[in-house]
Amino acid sequence: MHCLEMQIRNRADDMSAIVSMVEGFGLKYRISATVINEINLCLDEVLSNIISYGYPENAEGEITVRLGYEPGRISAEILDDGTPFDPLQAGPPNLSGTAQTREVGGVGIYFVKQLMDDVAYRRVGNRNTLILRKKIPT
Amino acid sequence: MQIIEAQSDGVLIVEPHGRMDSTTAKPFGDRVVELIRTGSHHVLIDLRQVLYISSAGFRSLLIARKLIDEYKGNLVLCGMSPEIKRLFEIGHFTDLFMICGTREEGIDKAR
Repeated sequence: MHCLEMQIRNRADDMSAIVSMVEGFGLKYRISATVINEINLCLDEVLSNIISYGYPENAEGEITVRLGYEPGRISAEILDDGTPFDPLQAGPPNLSGTAQTREVGGVGIYFVKQLMDDVAYRRVGNRNTLILRKKIPT
Repeated sequence: MQIIEAQSDGVLIVEPHGRMDSTTAKPFGDRVVELIRTGSHHVLIDLRQVLYISSAGFRSLLIARKLIDEYKGNLVLCGMSPEIKRLFEIGHFTDLFMICGTREEGIDKAR
């Protein structure tokens, strides 16, 4: 399996570095743009939640994103040293409503569960770890 | 994210380029809100150059939709790729927007 990882701070400005890393990884291993875009979308959802809600005010943290690829499979693991939190425990979002009443909360992790084949959370030591897996047609 | 703006037949066409995510959605949304508030009440957002839309992007689109309703205007979306269309379906956003295929259809609906 081919791997690549990067550390960023818990800062929104750092997220674009992850986007570039994923795109470069996709080009190197000739992974389709559709899959790369899905991975980047899921990482956007997970990382923005961690950065917005995972740390006390002004706390500095470190988030690791680890990509893995082998023919037929791609994975993305997100590890953060923020407060213990399992994003998969939240209930399903409310997808009903009109344009006036519709809420978007909870849709992010819902997208992740729908776009990925497998999503799993573990607390390891002082870190939250979320791993996303997707099968890729060969 | 680059945003190209054009006018056609009284309709403002907004064409964002790239990814609509937690970093780019707010500046995009702010720009559309500004355009609506300064008099553009017939707006077509052409999504043909958008790679993907995360929940932040959908939030911005909804904000624009709610605002244009206040002005009793029209907001139409067009140019969705199959991948973008799928995101709208997963999030149950399809019923919340007027969606057209081509830009021509979109201009027509937005007038």
